[in-house]
Amino acid sequence: MYTMGIDVGSASSKVVILKDGKDIIASEVVQVGTGSTGPARALELAYQKSGLTREDISFLVATGYGRFAFDDADKQISEISCHAKGIYFLVPSARTIIDIGGQDAKAIRLESNGSIKQFFMNDKCAAGTGRFLDVMARVLETTLDEMALLDEQATETAPISSTCTVFAESEVISSLSNGVSRNNIIKGVHLSVASRACGLAYRGGLEMDVVMTGGVAQNAGVVRAVAGVLKKEVIVAPNPQTTGALGAALFAYEAAQKR
Amino acid sequence: MSRVEAILTQLKDVAANPAKALADYKAETGKGAVGIMPVYAPEEMIHATGFLPMGIWGAQGKTISQARTYLPPFACSIMQQVMELQCEGAYDELSAVLFSVPCDTLKCLSQKWKGTSPVIVFTHPQNRGLEAANQFLVTEYELVKAQLEKYLGVKITNVALENSIAVYNENRVAMREFVEVAAEYPQVIDAVSRHAVFKSRQFMLKEKHTELVKELIAEVKAMPVEPWDGKKVVVTGIMLEPNELLDIFNEFKIAIVADDLAQESRQIRVDVLDSEEGPLYRLAKVWQQMYGCSLATDTKKGRGKMLINKTIQTGADAIIVAMMKFCDPEEWDYPVMFREFEEKGIKNLTIEVDQEVSSFEQIKTRLQSFVEMM
Repeated sequence: MYTMGIDVGSASSKVVILKDGKDIIASEVVQVGTGSTGPARALELAYQKSGLTREDISFLVATGYGRFAFDDADKQISEISCHAKGIYFLVPSARTIIDIGGQDAKAIRLESNGSIKQFFMNDKCAAGTGRFLDVMARVLETTLDEMALLDEQATETAPISSTCTVFAESEVISSLSNGVSRNNIIKGVHLSVASRACGLAYRGGLEMDVVMTGGVAQNAGVVRAVAGVLKKEVIVAPNPQTTGALGAALFAYEAAQKR
Repeated sequence: MSRVEAILTQLKDVAANPAKALADYKAETGKGAVGIMPVYAPEEMIHATGFLPMGIWGAQGKTISQARTYLPPFACSIMQQVMELQCEGAYDELSAVLFSVPCDTLKCLSQKWKGTSPVIVFTHPQNRGLEAANQFLVTEYELVKAQLEKYLGVKITNVALENSIAVYNENRVAMREFVEVAAEYPQVIDAVSRHAVFKSRQFMLKEKHTELVKELIAEVKAMPVEPWDGKKVVVTGIMLEPNELLDIFNEFKIAIVADDLAQESRQIRVDVLDSEEGPLYRLAKVWQQMYGCSLATDTKKGRGKMLINKTIQTGADAIIVAMMKFCDPEEWDYPVMFREFEEKGIKNLTIEVDQEVSSFEQIKTRLQSFVEMM
């Protein structure tokens, strides 16, 4: 039995196809999200890779910001539930999940059976999200991929506030203008993102293991900053950008079995 | 259209059109209205003048622009809306505005009213346990009474005041019964309808509102009770608006079985008691008896326990905290309540209430996740 999860995010589209609820046979990402060609392209890539068609998919669950705009789903489930499901499947010891996506950040507390105990989301603000990093990468004339490498070369951390993306952007421009090292600024940017995300995690009470997921978890600089703020070891989920889609595919498998 | 639908439609229309409610009242009685700023006021005094008491609780989905001239961005959402409407002259039809000042923002706003209506400001004592607090508030109410009489040109007699107290007590009793009926019939009284029944009481004479609410209760109770396959919650906060937010509650089948909203059940929590004392003293005593409100000092912090008890009594699945954006008193209460909810294993969720906002995707995600979590 094949089931599919599609995570239609604000900044990217992710698709996972599962065989019998345990084997990942396709896991595709297209770096544009809801309202774009991203969802259709991610689906097409997943079908190509698996050699399957829509008719072969027993159940399809959509999640993410654009889940209700995706017409072809059998069911829509929130990304919080899907990330929790996906992470528990990959890392059963996870009790605290920090998920930083394109435009929101979440901290999710899990019970030992994988159910959600509590969750917190960021407020209506881009600070502490992937969008914040996008803005900073542009100002710093670098790419998201490069930022983690440049962070490693920093000699100290430039202070960047975590309250507002626009103010933080002007702080970065000011620091650049004052000759502060770009690498040090990048480290400060990562710390700013980490501070926001950890603030959410603290609200629910930290419990080990802490697992990071979402697109921003691919940035080792942010992961180091989160571990530094929490003073805890942080596990990065395998293929962190697709854990929401994986969770959706797992929910789809459960639903298909009940049919 | 059934009678239930007709009553709900009527109350929704009133809730959505306060300006029309005022115009109709003026045409019918030749008298005007007095605005009442949140949160608590001796509304009975205005009722006793024959003027229409009208709640001033901001507006749904209005873009803030002129208010930025006078208010800092961290003033609560509701006051931003009120200031914007003041600047537009929306309240200039009011014959006066009654203004209590239980928080810093209200205190400052009371000193910079931009409308043309006269403003009557009074203070609630915060050391509420003392008898002196009652005496202080009686003095405040005497000043309010004198100013109302001056601005409205009407003498407020004790007979009229006693009558108004009885009218308001009857409305509060009816509304408390309505809350129980709404909890039992969530298929009939959804979240939007429930809110409209509460909100409309701010723009109608209470005796007329009571009549409709009693009829609504009788009609609903004549219907069979159906099992509810959704979730049940208790909500707390200043207010739960706009309607688009409540639509999400309906979409995910989240029934509000009790509330502790300042705009809703806190207004009907405490009756004016019968006693040998005069009406102003009994009105003042209400403030001493008020409980479970972030604006009324409570050194024992009983709000969390009150909400937990309400959750257990009503068989609710969870508590939803509707946090008014930038409301200091509510923010200060939250950590205490949150710890108590967690200790008792009560599922809880916080959503931000911002009257200006027009996009609800993030709240939708939170509420859907919360339902899935339960």
